[in-house]
Amino acid sequence: MNRRRFTVSIVLVVAAVIMVLAPAAQAADSIVLGCPLSTAFLYGWTAERGFRLAVDEINAAGGVSVGGEKRPFAVEVIDTRDLEPGVPVSEALLAVEKLILDKKADFILGGPVRSEAALAAMPLLSKYKKVSIVTTGVLTPKYSAQVAANYDKFKYCFRIHGEAKHLVGEMFANFGKLKKKYGFNNLFIIAQDVSHARGAAAVMEKVATKSGWNVTGVEIYPTGATDFSMGLIKAQKSDTEIINIWMDMPESAILLKQWYDMKLAALPFGSTLAAAEQPGFWKATDGKGEFTLCNVVNAGNAPSEATEWTMKFYNAYADKWGVAPEGLGASSSYMAVYVLRDAIERAGSLDPDKIVAELEKTDVMGVYGRLRFDPKSHQVIPATDPKEGAVGSILQWQDGKRVVVYPESIATGEILLPPWMKQ
Amino acid sequence: MDILIYGTINSVALALYALGFAMVYGVSRLPNFAHGALYVLSGFITWSLLNSLGLPYAVAIVLTLLLTGIIGALIYQLILIRIRGMEISEIMASYAIGLAILEGLRWGGFKGMTYTLPSFIEGSTTIAGIVVDYQRLLVVVIGAAVVGLLWLFTHYTRTGLALRGMAQDERAALMLGIDSDLMAVVAMGFGSMLAALAAVVLLPLGNIVVEAGYNVLILAIAVCIIGGLGSWMGSVIAAFLIGFAQILTVVYLGAHYQMVVALLAIIMTLILKPSGLFGRQKELEERV
Repeated sequence: MNRRRFTVSIVLVVAAVIMVLAPAAQAADSIVLGCPLSTAFLYGWTAERGFRLAVDEINAAGGVSVGGEKRPFAVEVIDTRDLEPGVPVSEALLAVEKLILDKKADFILGGPVRSEAALAAMPLLSKYKKVSIVTTGVLTPKYSAQVAANYDKFKYCFRIHGEAKHLVGEMFANFGKLKKKYGFNNLFIIAQDVSHARGAAAVMEKVATKSGWNVTGVEIYPTGATDFSMGLIKAQKSDTEIINIWMDMPESAILLKQWYDMKLAALPFGSTLAAAEQPGFWKATDGKGEFTLCNVVNAGNAPSEATEWTMKFYNAYADKWGVAPEGLGASSSYMAVYVLRDAIERAGSLDPDKIVAELEKTDVMGVYGRLRFDPKSHQVIPATDPKEGAVGSILQWQDGKRVVVYPESIATGEILLPPWMKQ
Repeated sequence: MDILIYGTINSVALALYALGFAMVYGVSRLPNFAHGALYVLSGFITWSLLNSLGLPYAVAIVLTLLLTGIIGALIYQLILIRIRGMEISEIMASYAIGLAILEGLRWGGFKGMTYTLPSFIEGSTTIAGIVVDYQRLLVVVIGAAVVGLLWLFTHYTRTGLALRGMAQDERAALMLGIDSDLMAVVAMGFGSMLAALAAVVLLPLGNIVVEAGYNVLILAIAVCIIGGLGSWMGSVIAAFLIGFAQILTVVYLGAHYQMVVALLAIIMTLILKPSGLFGRQKELEERV
């Protein structure tokens, strides 16, 4: 009896050891992509879906060739919650550190998503020499400026999506067209009280004033604000023709509903207007969001034929997740995995310095155009022609559909005015 | 005129947020930190009844009020009654319940910006040159009706009188044969129903998001502290003070200061009159 009990114990111990060691052994084979993402928010979950889609495709094709050995990618996601109001930046830093130390991440992809958190994470990435590609959120120009200003320290940091300065340029290209076509001249800016939006609002005001626009007001709303009536009335009283919105908080849907209910004669033109990016926006607002414009930062996050790969990605995402790419973070996260795979294969190792050197040589035609990084700032090079660089995408809700209206090289429609605005 | 109209709407919205919290505290001295979570939960219950079960809107609303009331009563009967009178434990336990509800909703997939409730009446009208949508006007009408009905209920029904008796002096109420535990459960049920009512009236203005639970809780606490913990009418008056102060702040200072108004008002109240404008708690101690 005792012998039998002893044998059973041995078997159980061996089984336990195998169970404990098996994932470790598997992890040793896998290249771990650590993804610190605010998963309850659009920019977090779209990024996760983009990563997983790319990883599944690459693994199904045999994995990544590292010095002649094929290794699969593995995705480890930790919820940083950094897009939620009141969550301190330190939480996101803990998540990044946990991915590096506990989850043994070889690379950090995705976030942290909020600009403040991403900037704070940069020294941490340098400390552990972890190559990172931010793919979602993080629109502050400071991110790439930090790399350019202190290359040796921050060379491990890359950004593969557009940043606030690019978005401002894209906005003004459209404002210029509207000015020419309809004589618009009055611009009202509404922004969320977060780093990138405040910064962008300030830049918008400065550039608008310089280029002859009459800035009728700038309102900064705290994250979580639920009433925008007085700001909209200010816009109405000042004969505003365009309301430029910089908000990624869910409550921006309230702003757009209020705009519709007030029948305000001003076109809502958002950037990172998360509520309006999603395909479900139309149903959620009962069509009140019609004519809303928003910048989804990169092509592929809305339907277009930017490159041969764009609709292939768009359809693959829709097939896998049951919903079309929903906004910022989808196409850029997907491409980050492919760009990283190529860099690893060229480097033939996971050595961070070799990977940095290879990422700097990246030149690939991706979902949203030709992808190259600026060698000094590690910012993806933008363009309005997908053959030249990474193209943005501005969409307008028209009759229940997301119609791309900018850049012209990939546009599928033109900007329409609501009936109460038609001149 | 725009300040008057939107100040009134904002104030009534704040009163709706706070009435349930004030009722529970007034009767059972329980600071219900799960109040914001119950608000969000009832929004998702209505959404689910409408979209998953396909029930008519009116039926979904009535069922939501009843279900949230029952959930609130059960929370008290099964958990909070065991720590009644232990204030710190009550705060911690109710906050933990609130967190569990909100995180549970998030875990259950209720995240994103596409959960919305339809407006009761679509469209808008113009009052003195200011465009206001019907749903916001309904908020004012329903808010006024709730305050009126609450007054009638607490003055002319046996249960309402018992609740008031409890709120005024629990020991005296006990001597008159009022079951204090039962009344506390009833108060929690009613308080939760009021949170649900606020949700079904206010959420059609925007969307249902988990994070709103924290905001609603902060605003409800701000209103109740300024009005005087335990004073229902004090809460209504405080809602108007904060509501108009917020709107004036947006107009004359800037929108990003509006949340500061509520928090600053709490600090000022705690420094100058800790019992609040109409609160009876600690009033005697303050006089002494």
